[in-house]
Amino acid sequence: MGMDIGKFLKSPEYEIKLTTCRDIFQAETLENDRFGDEYKKHSAAVVMGKDDSKKFGLKSGDRVRLTNSYGTVVVEVRESKREEPGGLAFMVNSPWSNALVSDDTGEKGIPDFKSINARISLTKDDITTIESLIGR
Amino acid sequence: MTTCTGCSLLCEDIEVILENGRIKETMNACRRGAARFRGCKNWLTPSVNRKQTDIDTAIKKAADILKNAKSPMLFGWSNSTCEAQVKGIQLAKKLNAAIDDTSSFCQGLLIERALQKKFRTCSLEEVRNKADVLVYWGSDAQDSQPRHLSRFSVFPRGESRQRGYEEDRLAIAIDVRESNTAKICKGHFYRIPLKGDREFILALMDALSGKVPKYDAKRILELAGLLKKAEFGVIFAGIGLTYSIKDDIDILVSLADMLPNFHIMPMVGHYNMRGFNEALFKETGFVNRVKFGVKPVHDNKYAIVEALKAKSIDALLVVGSDPISSLPRSVTSHLASIPVICIDPCVTLTSTIAEVTIPAAASGIESGGSAVRMDGKVIEISKVVENTYLSDVEIMNRLMEGL
Amino acid sequence: MPTVMELYQLLPKTNCKKCGESTCMAFSVAILSRKKKVSECTPILEESFKKQKEKLESLLLPSAGAEETGMIVHPELCTGCGNCVVACPVDVANDPHGAGIGCAPTNDKVIFKVVDGKVKAMNIKECRRFGKNRVLCYACIDPCPVGAIEFV
Repeated sequence: MGMDIGKFLKSPEYEIKLTTCRDIFQAETLENDRFGDEYKKHSAAVVMGKDDSKKFGLKSGDRVRLTNSYGTVVVEVRESKREEPGGLAFMVNSPWSNALVSDDTGEKGIPDFKSINARISLTKDDITTIESLIGR
Repeated sequence: MTTCTGCSLLCEDIEVILENGRIKETMNACRRGAARFRGCKNWLTPSVNRKQTDIDTAIKKAADILKNAKSPMLFGWSNSTCEAQVKGIQLAKKLNAAIDDTSSFCQGLLIERALQKKFRTCSLEEVRNKADVLVYWGSDAQDSQPRHLSRFSVFPRGESRQRGYEEDRLAIAIDVRESNTAKICKGHFYRIPLKGDREFILALMDALSGKVPKYDAKRILELAGLLKKAEFGVIFAGIGLTYSIKDDIDILVSLADMLPNFHIMPMVGHYNMRGFNEALFKETGFVNRVKFGVKPVHDNKYAIVEALKAKSIDALLVVGSDPISSLPRSVTSHLASIPVICIDPCVTLTSTIAEVTIPAAASGIESGGSAVRMDGKVIEISKVVENTYLSDVEIMNRLMEGL
Repeated sequence: MPTVMELYQLLPKTNCKKCGESTCMAFSVAILSRKKKVSECTPILEESFKKQKEKLESLLLPSAGAEETGMIVHPELCTGCGNCVVACPVDVANDPHGAGIGCAPTNDKVIFKVVDGKVKAMNIKECRRFGKNRVLCYACIDPCPVGAIEFV
């Protein structure tokens, strides 16, 4: 006995609502080197409150895949140090968050940068590189 | 003393300590400003078709591309000096090109209304000297304009606010999350749901006209009370607010009309985005999204996002911007099919796919000029290190000559 | 931040009173709050206590800049926003036309300055938490959203 059923089950996928924010530490790394590891560390991340991370079965440091019809990225989970009511997760504005933003602008030229719906699931894949976000 | 170009505050009190002609240390600049002065790791070099070349060849190729394009667009501008922006507008006129800047998908809607005087606005010095109620709405100034609270809005003693933040000022934050700015507005942080700004504004307008708001009555009535008491109030309208109400931005104007002692200040990120808006407004009556021809036409189809989606441009000049980074990936595919010319001090995501790259001096460090602060004040920026890069104005001049 | 118990475990625990405190526990409290120095415990200076003395000193090292006011600055957390520079009542009093009105400090009599994007503290003895008429001043803590300044 002892067959590892887990091996055959895909990680559960949940719906998640995301918005973007700004962070001075990320801005500092952007000024220095947008292709570097520091910028990646500050940008390729999704921050959520403890209630949400518990609901999704995630903890700080886990890698997750965020996917919607506009794109997919692998980023790291960070638990927020602040009280969060839940239902909304945060990414710092970056090419990683922009990979998930809709192209629906009502022809008015302003995309919905701060309102992203995606599906989240635990993954073993590596964090998406910035180079792969340039190419098509 | 020199001026920092890290954000649109354009802090003029920065001391730069040089060693062997390079910047060793800065005093008074915030973390972001200090990083700006340190500069980037990967400087841009001149190239054509991704092969390194000399600057004259690169500029000539750029001029050729623009000359031969049928529907070129000149984009970027928010990190350029006023002088370069004016030249860029002239270049667009000469080419009958479309011109757009980052405000097109950022704070353009609010800046436009400020310049059209649709709402009362004020200067940052007036904020320091007179403001008693400060509302950070969808704005995390602590991260985006870090010295905003310390230089102007909350902490300084002002002429009419001698007892400063302890007794004379009230800081309020309205946001979807408890940002660093909201943390400072302890006890006066109003958390609202995503896209909840419109409903919040309507409820607030109800409260201000003496009606009981249908939504969140207790909090809204409390806030309305605080706002009504203001002698000189300011709403710092951040990008969070703008993006949330972009389909009905005039609701903010309606709110401002009900608060006679309030002023609205659009919070701007890039150091000279407002400079471009003012220059184009002066020339055409519009802040962005213009195509030059017999006469300038303003239309959403000349917005960078719409032009890329519709694949309506056949060449793109990118000045001090990185659209592949800043725009949704879902709208940038057309960039792979048209010649892109990048003018920038640093290597960017866009420059790696550009047909022509032209290195420019970093303005405010390697070249000088003027810029417009977020509140409309013109501030001089200077060269602090000797270098051999062409300034943004010089590059614009050479492109004009090459046509 | 070490605890009183952690420090106590490294002491001789004889309550010999040579340091001027009645017990080693009291001495632990005194060295943690910077009222006394580790070297005031003369037994610990002996060879047999060399390891404990070194451990004590290393535990207390992060607070080495704290001096008598117990102020520690964490530059790695600081955003250089300057709120503390402008909010500090000593800065306002000593630099009324500079830090007092939100500008960069115009003299060296201030406690806080931003150097290379991060805050640096100086003239800490001027801090209102120090001296005969000390008060529990929070002027630099409340305006800081990241907790870059703390008092131990």
